[in-house]
Amino acid sequence: MNKRKLKQLFELVRSEPAPVPREDFVADVLRAVHRGPPVTAPEALAISDQLIRLFPRLVFAAALVIVLCVAVDFGLTAAGMPGLGDGLSQISAQWLLTPDEFRL
Amino acid sequence: MSDDAELLERIRNGATDDFAEIVRRHQPRVFAILHRYERDAHKVEDLAQETFVKAWRALEQFDGRAPFAHWLSRVATRVALDHLRREKRRQDEIGLPEVGDDALDWLRSDDEKNELDARSAAELLDLAMRELSPLDRVVITMQEIEGRSVKEICAATGASGVAVRVRALRARGKLRRVLEKLVKDENEQTQAEATV
Repeated sequence: MNKRKLKQLFELVRSEPAPVPREDFVADVLRAVHRGPPVTAPEALAISDQLIRLFPRLVFAAALVIVLCVAVDFGLTAAGMPGLGDGLSQISAQWLLTPDEFRL
Repeated sequence: MSDDAELLERIRNGATDDFAEIVRRHQPRVFAILHRYERDAHKVEDLAQETFVKAWRALEQFDGRAPFAHWLSRVATRVALDHLRREKRRQDEIGLPEVGDDALDWLRSDDEKNELDARSAAELLDLAMRELSPLDRVVITMQEIEGRSVKEICAATGASGVAVRVRALRARGKLRRVLEKLVKDENEQTQAEATV
């Protein structure tokens, strides 16, 4: 089977006429349409629905942040610089009570 | 006569019977799209009805940025895709239909004068297309038969541009292999009959 033959087949199929709808097709569609719910604007989503919808993205974003932090920490440690954990200890030493101070 | 935008505005304001005019205008296009995926005229009609009912229910989502015909075509394509997925499961249970001798002769022949009518060609292609996944079938049909751009196919199927190109390439390859197999099986059968 060469490419030309397949191309010919597509061309032949392209020329095939589609079936013609029955005369009462439009009336049937209208009956079906009137049986169903009326056309209305979509309802606004509740916050909980929006959160549920966003949940997979939130999970992905959280996982990405964790991976990034771990990678940065590894990078800093490998470069001999203080890692994120050390940075956090410094901050807590500045702003919070150290374990020693707490004992006092 | 009002254009689609005016008609749709009237429908939104309560003139629901104007939807009949929308159906009348767009039914040839919808039937043409659905006929590419379903050979049975009665089923095509059911699918066309489903398309218009879905379009009616989703009318508020049509924002008017693209022509209504394009939006409706996308609805029809999605209906066709759902139909193919249902049919694929059924087809796995009942097997494939047979193809006519004319189509097989044309397929085997290298003679340019050997012609095939559009109906037989469509039956042959339909048989080969059944071996494709529903989404691959929609992609190759839109590209090769309806002449749609990759962008339009992406909009209708929700697939990315790369995925559409890959699927089209894969579908063409598979179609060639399926048709080759048809010819090979037919040749083997003819040889077996000649030996007997």
